[in-house]
Amino acid sequence: MDATERRDMLKNVQQADFVVVELTLYTNTHPDDQEALTQWRLAIKEAARLRKLYEKHFGPLSLHSIPSEQAIDTGWRWNQAPWPWQM
Amino acid sequence: MWVYEKKLLYPVEVKECNPKLARYIAEQYGGADGELAAALRYMNQRYTVPDKVIGVLNDIATEEFSHLEMLATMIYKLTKDATPEQLEEAGLGAHYVNHGHALFYENAGGVPFTTTYIQAKGDPIADLYEDIAAEEKARATYQWIIDISDDAWINDSLKFLRERENVHSLRFREAVEVLKDERDRKKIF
Repeated sequence: MDATERRDMLKNVQQADFVVVELTLYTNTHPDDQEALTQWRLAIKEAARLRKLYEKHFGPLSLHSIPSEQAIDTGWRWNQAPWPWQM
Repeated sequence: MWVYEKKLLYPVEVKECNPKLARYIAEQYGGADGELAAALRYMNQRYTVPDKVIGVLNDIATEEFSHLEMLATMIYKLTKDATPEQLEEAGLGAHYVNHGHALFYENAGGVPFTTTYIQAKGDPIADLYEDIAAEEKARATYQWIIDISDDAWINDSLKFLRERENVHSLRFREAVEVLKDERDRKKIF
């Protein structure tokens, strides 16, 4: 996978995670909005799915993720560039 | 506690070296109405507000740190290939002498960050009104930076950040209403 594909897959994760951030902020002040709560439950599943897809190829995004076999095989280490400001 | 995520909140694309723009962006990095001030302000206020609005302060503070990282990425990339002469031309000569190519928490004029920019009054309504004002000032600052910048890629990220200030301001306004409702209920019973 090249840098463009990596960037695209990361963008999918960024988009999905952002939906979760936004719905979390919204439900903080609208705790009884059932539609928003339903959206939040769907959004967090979608974010987890896209995160797993990215991490399978490029290794964990956080230290709470279990490294995939592919990441282990390719010698993934947490302390490995690129960091976000280097991409 | 916090766990680091090896990604930015929103993409930052830097196509060319532009130390002058980096200097202007510093206003939102280490300035009075910037992201560091916002993050530290909300994170510190969250201990002494009613339970119903802790989440608002906690989660917005956390998001502000991700904004800070986006700005740092912009400043780093816009200056990393600049020569000392280019930095000097951009008004960053004094910065270079003190910090080299390192980033620093300072405003566009080079004034270092100070906690005198922020307050914690221990009065939830007073604190939330300060937070609303902070978001509006940050939104205005982003607008001024966008107005002075002709970098379309940077402006895309700055517009995202500007919109976030609007959303945060709205959430803080709603938090004020939540507290007022609670106060009025207590008066009735």
